[in-house]
Amino acid sequence: MNAVGVAFSVFRKELLDALRDRRTLMVVLVSAVLLGPMVLIALSSLLASFEAQAERREVVVAGIEHAPGLKNFLERQSYTVKPAPADYETRLRRSKLGDAVLVVPERFEALLLAGEQPVVEVISDSGNRQSQSSASRAVQLLNAYGRERGQVSLLMRGVAPELLQPLQVEERDLASTQTRAAQLTGMLPFFVIMAVLYGALNAALDTTAGERERSSLEPLLMTPAARASLVLGKWGAVASLAMLIAVLSCFSFLPAQWLLRSDTLQAMFQFGLHEALMFLVVLLPFAAALSAVLMAVAIRCKTFKEAQASSTVVVLGVSLLPLVTTFNQSGEAPWHLWMPALAQYTLMMRVLKGEGFGPEQVVVPLAVCVLLTAVGVAFVARRLRSAAVR
Amino acid sequence: MIVIESVAKQFAAPRTGWRLRRDAKPVQAVQHISFNAPDGRITGLLGPNGAGKTTTLRMLAGLITPDAGRVAVDGIDVVRLPRDAQARMGVLSDSRGLYPRLTARENIVYYGALQGMARDAAHARAESLARMLDMTALLDRRTDGFSQGERMKTALARALVHDPANIVLDEPTNGLDVVATRALRETLRFLRTPEGGAKCIVFSTHIMQEVERLCDSVVVVSHGRTVASGTVAELLQQTGQDDFEQAFVMLAFAEEARA
Repeated sequence: MNAVGVAFSVFRKELLDALRDRRTLMVVLVSAVLLGPMVLIALSSLLASFEAQAERREVVVAGIEHAPGLKNFLERQSYTVKPAPADYETRLRRSKLGDAVLVVPERFEALLLAGEQPVVEVISDSGNRQSQSSASRAVQLLNAYGRERGQVSLLMRGVAPELLQPLQVEERDLASTQTRAAQLTGMLPFFVIMAVLYGALNAALDTTAGERERSSLEPLLMTPAARASLVLGKWGAVASLAMLIAVLSCFSFLPAQWLLRSDTLQAMFQFGLHEALMFLVVLLPFAAALSAVLMAVAIRCKTFKEAQASSTVVVLGVSLLPLVTTFNQSGEAPWHLWMPALAQYTLMMRVLKGEGFGPEQVVVPLAVCVLLTAVGVAFVARRLRSAAVR
Repeated sequence: MIVIESVAKQFAAPRTGWRLRRDAKPVQAVQHISFNAPDGRITGLLGPNGAGKTTTLRMLAGLITPDAGRVAVDGIDVVRLPRDAQARMGVLSDSRGLYPRLTARENIVYYGALQGMARDAAHARAESLARMLDMTALLDRRTDGFSQGERMKTALARALVHDPANIVLDEPTNGLDVVATRALRETLRFLRTPEGGAKCIVFSTHIMQEVERLCDSVVVVSHGRTVASGTVAELLQQTGQDDFEQAFVMLAFAEEARA
């Protein structure tokens, strides 16, 4: 009998079966495929609101009437001075006010003239993120005002301002725009990996533990179909589903980009067709391996529920391994490429940073995936007969 | 033609708890069961619960390997050439789960494909089986909401899709009502006739009436052994009873009666 034909029949049946499970499929599609773009959009609107604040160039000051000089300085820096509302402290605490508040003391100008260092308070709430970023800007502005005042008084006494500033400091950031963006978009590969995982999970459990629970595995093994054909057909169907989810989630970032509201993020998040294809080069073998591993875990379980509990180990591993890069600040290590999930995360991050990867970096993860697939499929084939008889 | 010669099967005791229990003994499910089921006849495997019927039929179906003895289907040894033997058998096993998201037709045709049939042939066969089992109206419904009887019909059609010469049924009337049981009986009688293909039919049951009404010969098993075989009349004669139930109890529970 034609083993390939049988495997194909199994493949077609399992795929049909999984695609008929509309509700599960919809949940996977919505949660897995839309999650990444949603996060991207949320991120962009957050950035956009920061940008808008920076562009607004407003300073909220309480008691500006005591400091006409400061008001003049701020206006020269093209800032609008807004009087603080009376209840600014409670408003800041409740995150109702997004700007830090400068509090100018009553005898500010007089103290300044007398050289008695008046105290200007910059009030923000560290639980209120927006006020935090505006506080640092306010401090910079105040320092600049202080420097200007100092320079003016030194000039009047005949001291060159260069003496006070013997060296010039200039910052130069070597990171490319994409590298900087990668700090923000670093969670995207993680979402894509989780999408692939959840794409494979249900089908993998249904074709193994589900088949046992429905007691349809025993009649299946009473047919002359070779076990290898059965397992390969099943694995093929599960892997195709996982790959389908991988393709959908990668390409969903392309239209998501059009919705990006932040110009900065749009400029920094370079995700075109080329990047999507690079992602797929990494993800497709991973989807195949993950399917085989999940099936191997699930074939040992008698019920779907039991299999869900057992597969938590795999889910946990896949979601925790990429975190190694977060905990370990020393950067990329060669062994990262040997760990499934971590390797895929690392390579996808390289793509996002605009560094890309060559064939020499893909070989190791690919080999690991092929090995995992072979071991998983062989294990399922071995266990199939003893699994059928309860 | 099915031949089972003194098969035996022992199962390791299931492990309970975390520690290995030393005192748990292996279970001897089948000790010594033998019978011949010729073509064109219905052979009933009659025995109380736990007599080893299902285990014997699983060995016949090639699902578990016997520790001893020989199982042959049309002269093909099941242990040595399981797939060749399986191709000559249609088995309705104890577990008869269907795929709930597929229609009855898809369930049947899938098994046709697993038996190596061409798609068209499998579809044609599904139609003719549906006519025979009076389930044409069910064919294009998903099996999700099927009743027990409808499930059994679908599972039987699935087992018979490749028109096997040997039919093995494990307690087929379990959970069926009178109408469905009668319909099944009629079907089996038809399959026994030359027009129906003169199939070799083996079925296991623990219900006396089934055997009396249907079987050409009976194999009584108890405690993993064949304790008697012959036609119903022969068994009645052997035990000197005129009630078959009484005869069965005498044969199957002889050990308990002696003790």
